[in-house]
Order: sequence, then C-alpha cells, then structure tokens
Amino acid sequence: MEILASIYDFFGFVYEPVFMRRSALAMALLCLSTSSAGVMVVNRRLAFFPDAVGHSVFAGVAIALLFGFNLQLTVLGLSIVIGLTITFLARHSHLASDTIIGLVFSGAVALGLALVSREPQATSGLSRFFLGDVLTVDDGQVLALFALALLSFLFMFFLTNRLTLACVIPKTKKNTWTDYLFGAYLALVVAISVQAVGVLLVTALLIAPAATGRILSVSLKGMFWLALLAGALAGQLGLWASSQPSINATAGATVVLANVLLFCLASLFRRFFPVR
Amino acid sequence: MTDSPNAPPNAPPNAPPNAPMDASMNAPEPSANGQGLEKFDPRERRPIIKLDQVNVTLGQYQALVDVSARIPEKSQTVIIGPNGAGKSTLVQTILGFFPFQGRLDFQPHKPRFGYVPQRLEFDRHMPITVTEFLALGLTPWPLWLGISSKVKARVFSGLEEVRALNLAAKPLGALSGGETQRVMLAAALMSKPEVLVLDEPATGVDINGEQLMCELLDGFKTDYTIVMVSHDLPTAKAHGDWVICLNRRVVAQGPPDRVFTPKILAATFGLHQGLELFSRDDLIK
Repeated sequence: MEILASIYDFFGFVYEPVFMRRSALAMALLCLSTSSAGVMVVNRRLAFFPDAVGHSVFAGVAIALLFGFNLQLTVLGLSIVIGLTITFLARHSHLASDTIIGLVFSGAVALGLALVSREPQATSGLSRFFLGDVLTVDDGQVLALFALALLSFLFMFFLTNRLTLACVIPKTKKNTWTDYLFGAYLALVVAISVQAVGVLLVTALLIAPAATGRILSVSLKGMFWLALLAGALAGQLGLWASSQPSINATAGATVVLANVLLFCLASLFRRFFPVR
Repeated sequence: MTDSPNAPPNAPPNAPPNAPMDASMNAPEPSANGQGLEKFDPRERRPIIKLDQVNVTLGQYQALVDVSARIPEKSQTVIIGPNGAGKSTLVQTILGFFPFQGRLDFQPHKPRFGYVPQRLEFDRHMPITVTEFLALGLTPWPLWLGISSKVKARVFSGLEEVRALNLAAKPLGALSGGETQRVMLAAALMSKPEVLVLDEPATGVDINGEQLMCELLDGFKTDYTIVMVSHDLPTAKAHGDWVICLNRRVVAQGPPDRVFTPKILAATFGLHQGLELFSRDDLIK
C-alpha cells in the first residue's frame, strides 16, 4: 500500500485530496485497458458489444441480490457468459453480428428488468452501475485495475497480430479460441469499466479513443499508440474538469465528453490535412 | 454463328453427365505436326493431390458431387466451370476448410499450402499498411511495438518477388484489385508453400494487373504446384497445364488441348457457351 501512496503522490501536483489522486490513477489504469481493447473493438466492428455486456450488469446485480451471491463476482461472471454467448452465436449462426448483439442486448436488459421488478430493493444496488463512480474507488479497486491493465498488456502483446489478421482474413479455423478469449476479455474490461463510468457511457470509453487513433493514423501501430494517448488524455482531462467547482459534473460524463471532444478535434484535423 | 458439325448433344445445360470424361485418356492425340503440344505432359507427373468420390454438402446444398480428380505436381492446374459450379468449394475443401465425404490423398505428404483468396472482404478504412499486414505472419512481436529491420527486409524481398515493392508503405485498404492480389500472393509465397492455391486471381483486376499476375505465375511454375480457379477460358487455355472442368461434378480433366473441345465445354458451361467458344476458336485458327 506504500507503493500505492507514492504513486498517488505523482498526481499530487494536480490534486490535493487523496481520493482525487486515487481516482486519477484509477482512471489512468482503466483508460489504458479500455483504449487498447477499443482498438480491436473498432477494427472488428464490435461497437455494440460493450453495450450488450454493459447492460447485462442489471441482470447480474438482480441475480446476486436474489440469491445472495457476491455482487462483484456475479456481475463479472454474467458479463463473461454474455460475452461468450455473443461470440458463440456470431460464429455458429447465419445472422450478422449486429443482429446477434441486439438480441443478446435486449435479452439481458429484459432479464434484468424482470428480476428487478420482482425485487424492488435491487434498484438501490443498480444506481452505482447506472452512472458509475470513479471518485469513490478504494485501494482494493485500484489494485484490481492494476491487474486489469496488466492483463490487457499481456492480451495485446500476445494476441494483437492474431486478432488483426482475423480482421483481414476471417473464417479460419485457427481463430476459434482467439475469438472466445477476446469475447471473455472484452466482457471483463466492460464489466469493470461500467463501475467507473456507468452502463450508458461504457461504450464511449472503449470506442472513442480508438476512433480518434484510427482517424489520425494509417498504420495499426499509429492507431494503437494514438488511441492510448487519446484515452489517457481524455481520462485525466475529464476527471480534472469534473473536479472544477465551475463544472461540478459527474466524472463519467465529463470523461466521455473529453473523449468526444478529442475525437472532434481529430476529425477536424484530418479534414484539413487529409492523409490520402 | 454457324452450326458446328461437332455440335454437342442436346443435354440440358446444368445437367452434366454422371461419368466424367477423362480427356487425358479418351481424347484423340494432338495433331501430328506437334503444334499445341505441352512443354511437358502433365499426365506423366506424379499427382500431388488426389480426390476420390469427394462429396461436400453446404447446409442443404450439395456443392460437390462425387468429385474424382488429380492435381499433377509442379504444374499449373486450372479449375474451370460456371458460377456456382463449386470451384471455390473444391479448392477450399482441399485446403481443409470444409468437411467432406470421400477420399482426399496427398502425395507423399500433406503439402504446405499458400492460399490467395478470391477477394478480401475487410474494412477498407482499417489502418494497416501493406508492410504491417505482411509482417503479421512473420513476427511473434505485436505490431504496435514496431517491425524489426530483419522482418522488414523479408517483407520487402517478398514484395519485390511479386513486383510490388512500391506498395510497402501504402494502406492495405487503398490498393486496387490487382495490387491486393499481388500482396496476397506475396503473403502466400512467404509461407514457403509447396502448393499455391489461387481463387479467381483475374477477377476485379485490370488488364495490366491480369497480365502481370499471369507472368508472375508462369515464372513460379517450376517452383510450385499451382492450383488456380478461373472462369476465364482464354486464361485457362493459355496458362494451364492441366484443366479440371467442374460443374458440381468433374465433367472432364486433362491437358487444355484435350479438354477444350465443344463437347466438354458444352457439358461444363451449357450448350451455347461450348458452341460459341468453338466458333471463336475456329476463327482464330
């Protein structure tokens, strides 16, 4: 924990309160994970995947409360199940992936609503997932985000080439396990991100930095690093804006607004300096 | 168009005969003056791939029916047939993409395949350069760490081999049809294949691109066994050593001079196609 405290000090030049320093570190770690995963989400055209998985947390919360399960583990577990289900259906049915994602999305929301409507007290547990809250993270959650960032690094290190090849040449048998692994990994990233920025905004955290990187770059290497840069920058910019008394808005919303702002600036830049 | 004395039988166009015609065995010998003879006789070449009574069903549709064929090694085999004849299905079955009934034998062992698909259906705005794309299969390091000079050198020499070095820095999605084909050919060659499989390499390619592709393939003939799917008969006739006529069944197989007869073409493509080609051929002669 002393190591964590010294890392918090790094953010000391911007923020005085420790909880803000902690949030800044949490946001940085989260943005690294979501931005790198987002590169693959955008290139594989899975922009609605995070939405479907994100909305399944309602069902997860309701199930946890109904059966007395651990809330975090249930949400994570159900998200991974939903992620794997989408991957399975996309591979084994003749329907387009957006149709499948739409179906699973609706099914997950309906299940959540059905369960929540039976158990009104479940709604209290839902609010933190609905809007998310990065300002109340504790040291345990920061460590979990460290683990997620490490997992993202390993995933991107070993599977970037394979996942990229599958974007260009799909339909080879070898991709089967990579697809499932990616589905599970992405579901995990989404389930954790939801707690920071909420269900409504989780998609933006994944796709906005990648879209910014993509619009500015012609190479995969360029897209990857620009997405990380845009994600990290927007994360800190949004958090800082949220802490300003004149703005005083929820951090999830300001972070996503900062991401969208960066994308708009990148689009304008590309418009005036076209690449080809 | 005048009627030909060798007019094919009045068979319905899509109902090829059950028994394939083995043009290598039954057709008359080439003309005595020796014109039109192959540089070598592919019948004497060892078959590297042999299919025996292969059946492939895709969903409810039987795409290949009792396909028996052979592909001679170190030669250029061209699979011809109309749309929906199962040409792509046949090569993809050989590549192991589809389950099948029947026998598929490789001699002496299953060869390494290099495959150039008919077209790439990918997001053309995806940011990836030709060099990055070709490096994907050559390096275990993720692309975002950059490409080592050693891998780059291999990519460049691969591109040079298909006369496409100028494309190295271009985004993959910005390439023309012919350029994409050559990059895919480079990718296939980099895997050091024994059998090079090309699915419609002339489709969506301009005339210069097609000619360049044909020259390249002719140059590779001595190094690889080439299997090419085509519906372009002149290309098949000019470049093929061995032709398999397919219309869900094998209608005929053999050297082009024996296979390109009105009767076989009519059975493969339908009555009029056979007649028309025969007449054109006559005019050329």
